[in-house]
Amino acid sequence: MKKTKLQILTNGIIRENPVLVLVLGTCPTLAISTQAINGLGMGVSVLVVLTCSNIMISALKRIIPDTVRIPCYIVVIASFVTMVQLALKAYLPSLDKALGVYIPLIVVNCIILGRAEAFASKNSVIDSMLDGIGMGIGYTLTATVMACIRELLGSGTIFGHTVTAGTITPFTIMVMAPGGFFVFGCLIALVNKLTKGKAREKQQNKCLGCPGAAFCSQKVEEGGAEE
Amino acid sequence: MSAATVFYIVLSAIITNNYVLSKFLGICPFLGVSKKLDSAMGMSIAVIFVMVIATAVTWPIQTYLLTPNGIGYMQTIIFILVIAALVQMIEIFLKKYIPGLHKSLGIYLPLITTNCAILGVCVLNIDNGYGFLQSMLNSFGSGVGFLLAMFLFAGVRSKIETNDYPEAFKGVASTLVAASITSLCFLGFSGMLEKIFGM
Amino acid sequence: MAERHTNLIVASAPHVVSPANTASIMRDVLIALIPALAVSVYVFGIRALMLSVCCVVFCVFFEWLSRRIMKRSNTIGDLSAAVTGLILAFNLPVRLPFWMAAVGCLIAIVVVKQLFGGLGQNFANPAIVGRITLFIGFASPMANWTITSRMSQAILSAAEVDATTGATPLALSAAGLPVPTNMEMFLGLINGSMGEISAAALLLGGIYLIVRKVISPAIPVSFLATVAVLSLVFGLDPIFQLCAGGVMLGAIFMATDYVTSPITTTGRIIFGIGCGVFTMLIRVYASYPEGVSFAILLMNILTPHIDRLTRHKTFKPAEGGASK
Repeated sequence: MKKTKLQILTNGIIRENPVLVLVLGTCPTLAISTQAINGLGMGVSVLVVLTCSNIMISALKRIIPDTVRIPCYIVVIASFVTMVQLALKAYLPSLDKALGVYIPLIVVNCIILGRAEAFASKNSVIDSMLDGIGMGIGYTLTATVMACIRELLGSGTIFGHTVTAGTITPFTIMVMAPGGFFVFGCLIALVNKLTKGKAREKQQNKCLGCPGAAFCSQKVEEGGAEE
Repeated sequence: MSAATVFYIVLSAIITNNYVLSKFLGICPFLGVSKKLDSAMGMSIAVIFVMVIATAVTWPIQTYLLTPNGIGYMQTIIFILVIAALVQMIEIFLKKYIPGLHKSLGIYLPLITTNCAILGVCVLNIDNGYGFLQSMLNSFGSGVGFLLAMFLFAGVRSKIETNDYPEAFKGVASTLVAASITSLCFLGFSGMLEKIFGM
Repeated sequence: MAERHTNLIVASAPHVVSPANTASIMRDVLIALIPALAVSVYVFGIRALMLSVCCVVFCVFFEWLSRRIMKRSNTIGDLSAAVTGLILAFNLPVRLPFWMAAVGCLIAIVVVKQLFGGLGQNFANPAIVGRITLFIGFASPMANWTITSRMSQAILSAAEVDATTGATPLALSAAGLPVPTNMEMFLGLINGSMGEISAAALLLGGIYLIVRKVISPAIPVSFLATVAVLSLVFGLDPIFQLCAGGVMLGAIFMATDYVTSPITTTGRIIFGIGCGVFTMLIRVYASYPEGVSFAILLMNILTPHIDRLTRHKTFKPAEGGASK
């Protein structure tokens, strides 16, 4: 079953949304989604790195030996992350400060390594680029929406513009750690509801995407049962 | 460095700045490997182990190699490669010389390369301008903090695993809400360590 | 997978079985809360009653609504939602806006209880989590204490100096100011959360519950004893520490929740001691003046581990097959 170009592009936005359906890249999403602008900034950074690394890895897929492919992917991804990091430092220093350590941590964001392994290493350059853009948009949308919800409830603003602040006392816990977990859980439940549980089946197999997590679900379960 | 400072650094990394529940690092294993206490503890011990060793290697690299040569921006690439190589070497070393430990920690090691808490602690030590000893203590504390979060959450999950959830909240969604409630109790300790150790 | 097991609720032990049984227990708890409510209305006036009723109504409404949305059997008859509402109300300052109280009820009933499958399946006490989220989320309205003429002279004179804060006894003590006498503390002629003020009324309710065998004395006694002993260790007045803040309400009504506390007596004693230790640590050292709710939540989270360690040997599963 071959997908059309459009399907590849839109796949990551809802049907296989990397955050809400594949449950990848949870750490940065939870951490930076306290302000809409940070969510958007992080989303675009991931979009850029993901698209570039997908193109590069797809182009190099015949050259990279299979046995050392993961380290090679990591080097490619880390290079693009460094570029984004330097660009942010130069042009958007305030955003760079707000995102802090989570920018270098894009390297270990399972979305990127996951797409490299699951898609870019098997598909053409154009398809990989579309996949990267689609997944990137899916990530950006999710991070931004989640950040908007938390910012609105927790500070009464959206993108720094006053919405309810001043009239309604903001519920500050929403911009703190428990609010992050809670809003994320609710968004996943919403996607479950909208997809009538289809999303959940993918969540159970979330490890499909992530090379590291492949051990998480299977080996660890076996290992735990062994003793 | 006084004993009070040592305790302060370690305890604040464990409690008030808990990596999982306040900094959101290492969420994947926190959600993925916390179902059983045995696996949760095995994973956590492996994380502490790798965190400390990774810091012991990356801190000198940054301080004596990258920064003096003006290539501090290579940090991300170098660190992740070092961590990946390190994890491989630890695995080979354990397999050969301490097979008992390898048997219990071995299966967790491959996951750790992509555990953002490891890279996170290495980068944060540099970003915060910590000295070597301070970095080591912070890494150890962060690892123990991860273990504490895993320990608490493994208990919670053992209790709620067989629950009859509403359709939409089955699976990851309810786990996240449980994590939200768990992270609440850590907020109560804010300011405590500063007062105890007079920081 | 798809069918709903509406009547097949798998709860962890202890099984607070049939609804009728739960309802009679909950009715006793409501009766036990009446003295504290009466003192609260005496000290704070009629709004205390209004806010309590408001919380009970909201909790029962959210319980009914969430069960309906989930297409499950109606459970408001077991009165547990009413109890949660009243206990949550007791944790609030009397002037808290009604809508904020409603947010607390929503979190307690929907997020903490129904989302995890309903009564018996929650791992944290609903009222505790409701209180903590309001306490952190609406920090200043939750610390907006009301002063009335029926309160201790120490509070009234402190309020004259600084009319805005209306500091509670714990805050006065932390600031080194004169505090109410122990008798005033015991009777509840002080400010604070609505239902927490009167140790005497709460103790009366507690004795009723113990006599009716609704709660076992293990948790309240070990909790209160630990607070008293640690007060002496820290050089504080134990009577004052026991009567101040939420210790009595927490020890008698919140820490004793069947679902979220250990099963065995040994486990309950460990649970009570843990609550006492963390309460005093937070009171003495943390930036929050009161730590009862955080301490109970932490012990709720530790309850599965306490149960695992104190379970009778005969019930212990074979090595390695811990859970699954």
